[in-house]
Amino acid sequence: MEVKDIHYRAYRPRPFTKEERPYTTILFGGLTWKHERLIQGSLERMGYKSQPLPQIERIDLDIGKEYIDVGACCPTTFTAGNLARALKTIREREGEDGVKNRYLFVTVGACGPCRFGQYHESYERVLEGMNLREFRIFLLDLLQMEQSAPGGGLEIGMPLTFGFVYAMFLGDLITDMEYATRPYEVVEGQTDKVVRESVEMLYERLKNRPIKGKKLDSLLWHVFTGYFVDVLKEVKRLWDEIEVDRLRVKPRVKITGEFWLQTHEGNGNYNIKRWLEKEGAEVIPPPIAVWMDYLINMELFKLEDSKGFVKRYYLKKFAIGSIAYLYKFLYNRLRKALNNIPNPLPDQRELRELARPYFYYRLTGGEGYMLIGKALHAYKKRYAHMICELSPYGCLPNTMSIGAMAKVLGDYPDLLYAPIEIKGDAEVHAYSRCQMVLTSAKKRAKEEFEEVLERTGLSIEDIRDFEEKHPQIRKATYKIPHYGYAGTASNYVMHIAKLMGKTIRE
Amino acid sequence: MGIPKFLNIWGTHQFWVGFFQALGVGKVVFSSDTSEEQYRTYGKGRISMDSCYPVKALAGHIGELLQKDINLLFVPMIYSLPSFLRGHVIDSLSCTRVMMSVENIKAGFLRERDEFKERGISFVSPFVPFGEPEILPKYLWESLKEVIPNLSFEETAKAVKEGFNQLEAFEKRMREKSLEIIRWCVRNQRPALLVLARPYHMDPGIGHEIDSEFQAYGYPVLWYNYLPLEDWLLNWLFEEDLRKGFIKSPLDISDVWTSSYSANTNEILWASKFAARFPWITGVIRLSSYECGMDQPTFTPVQRIVESSGTLYFKFGELDETKPAGSVKIRVETIVYYLEKYSKDIIEKKLKRLSPIPKLLVDFSPK
Repeated sequence: MEVKDIHYRAYRPRPFTKEERPYTTILFGGLTWKHERLIQGSLERMGYKSQPLPQIERIDLDIGKEYIDVGACCPTTFTAGNLARALKTIREREGEDGVKNRYLFVTVGACGPCRFGQYHESYERVLEGMNLREFRIFLLDLLQMEQSAPGGGLEIGMPLTFGFVYAMFLGDLITDMEYATRPYEVVEGQTDKVVRESVEMLYERLKNRPIKGKKLDSLLWHVFTGYFVDVLKEVKRLWDEIEVDRLRVKPRVKITGEFWLQTHEGNGNYNIKRWLEKEGAEVIPPPIAVWMDYLINMELFKLEDSKGFVKRYYLKKFAIGSIAYLYKFLYNRLRKALNNIPNPLPDQRELRELARPYFYYRLTGGEGYMLIGKALHAYKKRYAHMICELSPYGCLPNTMSIGAMAKVLGDYPDLLYAPIEIKGDAEVHAYSRCQMVLTSAKKRAKEEFEEVLERTGLSIEDIRDFEEKHPQIRKATYKIPHYGYAGTASNYVMHIAKLMGKTIRE
Repeated sequence: MGIPKFLNIWGTHQFWVGFFQALGVGKVVFSSDTSEEQYRTYGKGRISMDSCYPVKALAGHIGELLQKDINLLFVPMIYSLPSFLRGHVIDSLSCTRVMMSVENIKAGFLRERDEFKERGISFVSPFVPFGEPEILPKYLWESLKEVIPNLSFEETAKAVKEGFNQLEAFEKRMREKSLEIIRWCVRNQRPALLVLARPYHMDPGIGHEIDSEFQAYGYPVLWYNYLPLEDWLLNWLFEEDLRKGFIKSPLDISDVWTSSYSANTNEILWASKFAARFPWITGVIRLSSYECGMDQPTFTPVQRIVESSGTLYFKFGELDETKPAGSVKIRVETIVYYLEKYSKDIIEKKLKRLSPIPKLLVDFSPK
């Protein structure tokens, strides 16, 4: 009888050396094209060749299903299929050796034990299925400031980490500008054009930013530099040119959900944000920066729970607290350069407390307490008319908080909540579910607007007259304060009434 | 006090028995095993999302306990588990769905009215990080002090110790029993089967007693979470991997699984390595519930690990609330046929890879 060795071993990538760096392209993906372009700029500044994976297409779902184990969630299937499609294209163009030796893929690991947290296992199935076990995939840890891949070819030091952080912040801010502007633009297509120009300008600046030291000096420069604020001021000038009509009454829809699905812009979530805009809504997109803020604050909350059980508690609290403070400080400084049009990051402590009667904050995995916290925050503070929660079909953590939302809806029956389960191939079903709640949101936005007109005693003609005399108010970068109404049009009318010195009826 | 017999209570119940005995809680009542009838009678209509059946079944357990003479309903949110692999893996977390299930199912009893309050029952659901034993008493004390008058932190901490002692003693007995079965197989040159599942598949309503079907054919069945951990045995099985530097210790799974966050998954992976090496385990039975996202990424690695040694591998997947009795019987008959046909060869083949059988496995005389 033949006796073989037990041969199954987990995938381990071959080392990537410094010598390989000049001719090796780093592939990466999973974010919006804006974020990916800015990450590319950060990588290129540090001497890496890089290339984002192609935009997600519907076909990626089918390709993914061919390679990975049955029962995967759609983010895993889409991203695995996307990687497979990219590798296939490269192999066809550059041959087997080309793809194995001149490319590698970097992704983020360490988001815990759910299918998506272990998606690299699925990527390994792709490599096996394509007979590309020699292709290299490296995992990065989201919470490490400095790390390197085996072989020393990929070194993530302080300058590159901050490059990633700024790429994330800048991508988020431009995305917020985009969604706050496009539904109201007077010239159709102008917002998309300015988004492209803004991203290219930011890409160039990230690619050519000065590198000041490698450790503490780099950290200090990135925290205190005015370099990015100055770039954003230039970007703002592009947005100043966009004229908007904020009298269009639109329901504001806050997007929440699983990380990949909620941030994604494309076929992976049926392009639902664009669809909502076409249906007459204003979308509040979820910034990626909120997720990092959540992770930092969870470390703080865990530490606070351990008071009396850990050594050097106050020192640790000071350290993590400082990181949390600096993180928001940087984000707010950049927001200010865009006249605070992008939304602020929510206070994690507030979200935690809002969710607490329904969902315990230390239950981590997925978005944790944030799904309930964000929904209640938007509802109670009147930032949105409706919550659209995007969850993969069978998502381990999200299905649980959707279940817990039953009690929230019992307590707040007015909260318009559309949990949309995304399979990737059931577009009509998702749209129709969303449409049902959107109809109520539209009605609410209209009622709210009529109430504001009545309270202020203003007519549309009065407002148009005022706009004519004060054209700056129709700029996309003009900040409309929040007067406790969810709708942009309602707050706009309130603002004009205040500027006109009108008495507001209670 | 009522405790629903759900999810990770299977595997930690002895901790809770020891803990509450030490606190002097008069009587602890567990709910029945999961059954379709229990779910239909007490649980249906309380679920507002789709999920795996082990999670949904909790509604039936809670509903059943509400009918009992209890004044405290204790439903822990078990965040992490006391795994024997701690120190060799990244973490020992529960499945995200499992830990969050309580918040989800509880909402079904609260959304229209507070059914606990109506029945005069206090609902307590502490956060339970077994993986952080130093802080565990604090979480338990903070939730229980409201319902157990004059409970002190010190008492709680002492009770936690007692709970761990009881759990450890129970696991030790179970592992000794597994070793006894293994020795019987060696003495009698008989094959055994290993079940790879989640602890709650021991619940007849979740695992549908598939393992018993094999026992009926005379095959001893071992469970992955109670395998013996004696040094002499593990060193024998993993000798070559240690020598070649694939692993740092016999409990290291980094050679086959790099995302070692989940306690149950880690143990399944380790047990599949054990099964691949141990000669008298000739077949592995994998049980998996419908929609199990924790199992999904492990299907290929586990099957490869087991089959790479020539051991037979069979999966009963997509298990739900209905027992597929007919199809199980047919599959079991087929599997038994293969076991009978190939077990002898498999044992011989696997023995050839190992050094001589340890004396403690052969010459041991039971007390």
